[in-house]
Amino acid sequence: MTRRILPFLSPALLALLLFVAFPMVWVFRTSFNELAEGAYIVEAMTLENYTRFLTEPWYLVNTLWFSVRIALLATAISVICAYPVALYIAKTSGLQRNVLMALTMAPLLIGLVTLVYGWIVIFRGGGLMNSLMIALRVYDQPVRYMWDIKGVVILLVYIGTPYIVLSLLDSIERINPFLVEAARNVGANRWTAFWKIVFPLSTPGLYAGLVIVFSLNFAAFAVPLMIGDSNTQMIGLVIYREALLNNDLPFASALSVIMVSVNALLILGMSALAGRLILSRLEAKR
Amino acid sequence: MSNDSIQVEGITKRYGAMTAVDNVSFDVGQGEFVSLLGPSGCGKTTTLRMIAGFVDPSGGLLRVRGRDVTHLPPEKRDLGFVFQNYALWPHMTVAENVAFGLKLRKKNRNFIRDKVAEALTTTGLSGYENRLPRQLSGGQQQRVALARALALEPQVLLMDEPLSNLDRALRVTMRRELKELQARMKMTTLYVTHDQEEALSMSNRVVIMNKGQVEQVAAPFELYENPATGFVADFVGITNFLGGIVTSAEGGGVEVKLGSGQMLRAVTKQPVALGTKVRALIRPERVTLKTTAADGDNILTGQVVLAEYFGALLRYSVRLDSGDILRAEVHNFDSFIESGSRVWICVSPEHLRLIPDERNA
Repeated sequence: MTRRILPFLSPALLALLLFVAFPMVWVFRTSFNELAEGAYIVEAMTLENYTRFLTEPWYLVNTLWFSVRIALLATAISVICAYPVALYIAKTSGLQRNVLMALTMAPLLIGLVTLVYGWIVIFRGGGLMNSLMIALRVYDQPVRYMWDIKGVVILLVYIGTPYIVLSLLDSIERINPFLVEAARNVGANRWTAFWKIVFPLSTPGLYAGLVIVFSLNFAAFAVPLMIGDSNTQMIGLVIYREALLNNDLPFASALSVIMVSVNALLILGMSALAGRLILSRLEAKR
Repeated sequence: MSNDSIQVEGITKRYGAMTAVDNVSFDVGQGEFVSLLGPSGCGKTTTLRMIAGFVDPSGGLLRVRGRDVTHLPPEKRDLGFVFQNYALWPHMTVAENVAFGLKLRKKNRNFIRDKVAEALTTTGLSGYENRLPRQLSGGQQQRVALARALALEPQVLLMDEPLSNLDRALRVTMRRELKELQARMKMTTLYVTHDQEEALSMSNRVVIMNKGQVEQVAAPFELYENPATGFVADFVGITNFLGGIVTSAEGGGVEVKLGSGQMLRAVTKQPVALGTKVRALIRPERVTLKTTAADGDNILTGQVVLAEYFGALLRYSVRLDSGDILRAEVHNFDSFIESGSRVWICVSPEHLRLIPDERNA
């Protein structure tokens, strides 16, 4: 069986090997190299690059923890935005559904650069965002969104939400509508029925969406580069600066390894938590 | 007006141009078991779902225990409901499923524990508390669904084809248990089914629905013996229909001239006007077959075209001389009539029912 499907898989396997496994091994190896005189990469076996980052509280707080916080915040807001959309789309069909799906997917179909130009119009001093917020009396002086972390979070939410809508939709559509009726019948109002029935049963989709969007946000590079201020400490951007501006590939590699490891640890943590809370009950018998 | 009852008054549900439920009225008395019976798509489930509050009626009035619930949300109606597909919450254990409604009512923990245990004992599920629904068989899941409804001690229980997903043997067992339980707890019950056997054997009264309308509301015996319409006669049991015109009506005796020219005599309770087009109904088990010439009222002659032996009964299909096919069932027999034999069929006037011929009325 395995031998028979191998020829069909091999182009994909080859691509994975070439473009994922090989660069990862290379990055991992480079992270132990040394930078001599601030310019030359010297083959070595040193933990210097790691200790430089991990023993420096400024990096830990202002880069690593900052990136985790921003990623979590943007992911959380995406989830809050995505639930009502997914719940609504799940109830539609036909043309209405196609239109709504297209609208939801739109942010993913427009190129990032076009997207950012659009948001500049919205974000700038006298732009749509400030006019609206001032008109709604949320605040009375224009607030800075461009070249600021606020703008970064908003754009990460904007890009992340469609992914969560998609994966939630899949879970929500699998929920038998009679389960909600059964809850209403024994005395649950709409809100309670959502929290006790729909929400727990949608967690597999929520979890899948969280993992994707958190990872995207945590490693975000283009959005902080284009919207953030020049000193934004999102870890993806820091790696870019170290690698291409400071030419310190070993340090950039070490940061990459740390980023991937922290991401993996956080996802494993989420997975363990989700498994304990609910997934173990929903999964079919093995 | 009885307190523990359901009153349905002219309830209607339209979906665009389609009328799913059309001006339906009936009531269910306290402790009564009433079935809504009809073919699929007749509006019986929509009617039940309107009573439960899952579907908003387009018109009409619903009262439960004297209270107008027509536009009340489902959670405010205090009705038990058992779903066809059980609708158990897959992420909750059996005990959690049963306890859910009690928890929402903020009962204390001991009270909830006792009620859950009681409901599970009643439905024969003690020991299954910590199982998840997917770890149970269909029959067990149905019992959990029932326990979940019973734990709240509803005065009124609604059931939507609760047995239709079970295999036949289990269905018969569950049917008896359900009826016993309902009688013991004296719960007012409205039961939707498309299975006439279920409806006839369990119910005090049956509401027959067709195309969104009520055809007849009657006790099972009455329904079978005195169907009000051709639909009821045809849907409940097997019936032979013979079309004709009333040629004489004196007192309780009516004479009908069939299309073939043959005369049939019937005894009717309702007066019938002369010249009315009617259909004469003959139940297959109400006829006697003879292989020798017979005399008297209502003798039809024909030839056996099919004879089927089922052990306890014999089924014959007879082609009458008029060309109509008549089905006959014989339960007490000593001999077997061969296919092809000429037979004389007798129907006593008391067993002949007449209904107006609504087909071209």
